[in-house]
Amino acid sequence: MSVPLARPCRRAAHLVSRSLATAAVSPSSPPPHAPHKSPKPVLYTSVILNRSPILTPSPTTFERAFYAYQQRIRRALHNPFPSEFYFKQGSLLEAHYNAEERARERVAWGPKYAREEDVSPEKRAAEQAALDQTEMQEQSDDKLVSRVHPSDAARDYHSLDRKGRRNLYLLVERPSGASSVWEFPRGETQQGELLHQAAHRDFHAQCGNHMDTWIVARKPIGVYKPPALETSPEDITFFFKAHIMAGQVRPQLPLKDFVWVTKQEIEKRVKKDYWQGVKDMLSDH
Amino acid sequence: MPHTPQRVARSLTRFGRPPPVKKPLHRNWRTRLPIPHVPILGREFAPCRLETHYHATLAEDTMYMTYIHEAGPRPPPRQIRLTYDPSNPYARFRANPPVGGDQLGKKPPPPDSPSNVIRLEKIVIHSFLKTAIVSRSNLLGLIMALRALTGETEKGAGKHAVKGVEVVYGKKSVGGWIRPDIPVGAKVELRGAPMYDFLAQLVEFVLPRLKDFPGILLPPPAASDHSPSAVSGVVSIGLTPTAMQFFPGIEVNLDAYPRSYGMHIHFVTNATGVGAENRARALMSGFQLPFTRR
Repeated sequence: MSVPLARPCRRAAHLVSRSLATAAVSPSSPPPHAPHKSPKPVLYTSVILNRSPILTPSPTTFERAFYAYQQRIRRALHNPFPSEFYFKQGSLLEAHYNAEERARERVAWGPKYAREEDVSPEKRAAEQAALDQTEMQEQSDDKLVSRVHPSDAARDYHSLDRKGRRNLYLLVERPSGASSVWEFPRGETQQGELLHQAAHRDFHAQCGNHMDTWIVARKPIGVYKPPALETSPEDITFFFKAHIMAGQVRPQLPLKDFVWVTKQEIEKRVKKDYWQGVKDMLSDH
Repeated sequence: MPHTPQRVARSLTRFGRPPPVKKPLHRNWRTRLPIPHVPILGREFAPCRLETHYHATLAEDTMYMTYIHEAGPRPPPRQIRLTYDPSNPYARFRANPPVGGDQLGKKPPPPDSPSNVIRLEKIVIHSFLKTAIVSRSNLLGLIMALRALTGETEKGAGKHAVKGVEVVYGKKSVGGWIRPDIPVGAKVELRGAPMYDFLAQLVEFVLPRLKDFPGILLPPPAASDHSPSAVSGVVSIGLTPTAMQFFPGIEVNLDAYPRSYGMHIHFVTNATGVGAENRARALMSGFQLPFTRR
């Protein structure tokens, strides 16, 4: 009985004290020892737009040596492969497989360790002729695309095709006084707006609608407060992660420029304290 | 990490001469094969594309999507009286659940931490074959199909935990249908690189070629959040026999199999607690597994 009654009473007392407090802060009679109240902080939302890697990473020298060693172990310890199930006896496909397998054995164990041949030279010649024939038939003009894009060589920071092995992030150049600063696209929240809605609205207002993007979650992934100045209210920036699927950024005024850069390249462009605030939100991959 | 181009002077695939054997190796008494000094174990032998994708993109995204903020440590769980008096010597070493059961479906997920970011632990494929009850030799085609699909063999590459394709036996007697200890199906557990390879085949070759497949159906909104399947972090799908022919490993010699086999596929993640299945779906959706509402 006492618990349900206690809550409204406490709230009422709280309201009374609040109304008294506002009355006390009225400009006519400031209290003698009122603490210095800083103005309301300004909330910003910022979108970290990410282009995920489009190529697999190149293995390091150590990784390649490790994989080569493991491939040899695997070849030595694997269970027997039922080739008679997969290939008909005497078929062209079987000859093809046997030739490839011999080549792989030579790579793994060297020419000395290759399996002994139990085929007659005539049969071998016939196999080889068949293989050559299939090779002629299967020849295609497809060529592997280079892992280095022309935009890498041209240092085209606007291109989404650069640095295919890395995560790229969008930085925009915002005029600030006489000069300009590089940062993630940022906008101010409006009254009564939720953070993730503000992030979506501001981002498209600044970077255009000519791209297909997805903001990953409604929760911010990080927060940044620049060193406070005495005169101005505090700035608080909440960051949201987003992916770009298609299209390209078209920066709207007053933004001057944009770049697609990796984590390491961001460090060179942004201010030191901004870098300290955002570096842990960015991927090392 | 940045990869600087490195000049490699020596071949990485060839190794020097093995050291001379000074003392003969012990031999297995049964097989008479030499036992090496060190356990030789096959590990990853090639970079794995989907695993890289998980670490580069998915782990981060699913962490942001499924993160639940908690202010401070959780209060200790409420102590619930046990069913039987624990001081009674009769109940001492017997099962003694709390009153009202262990409430498995209502356990909250563990607090989010870097170590329990959702990840795919294993994929289990299993298939029940009705005709195997009549003749166990009917299982051979299924076993070969599963082996061709997954590439798993028992203790392959020296890995003793890898069981390969296992035969599933009946457990109980159901009149006119099944008897205990008769082989009725086959299953495979996939972990690591073979798991990601199978997943890539499924989402890139098979699912896009299925007719009238809008995606995996999500349960209706009224479905319980506390059912055992909803709190276990497993996404399960079934494939019809027609889907088997689209796997590239089967497609090359489809006529070698006596018939097509359907299969159940379970994607087992490390998510537990309330909402675990939804978190598992978020992860699997990142691997391009399509989900849809009825």
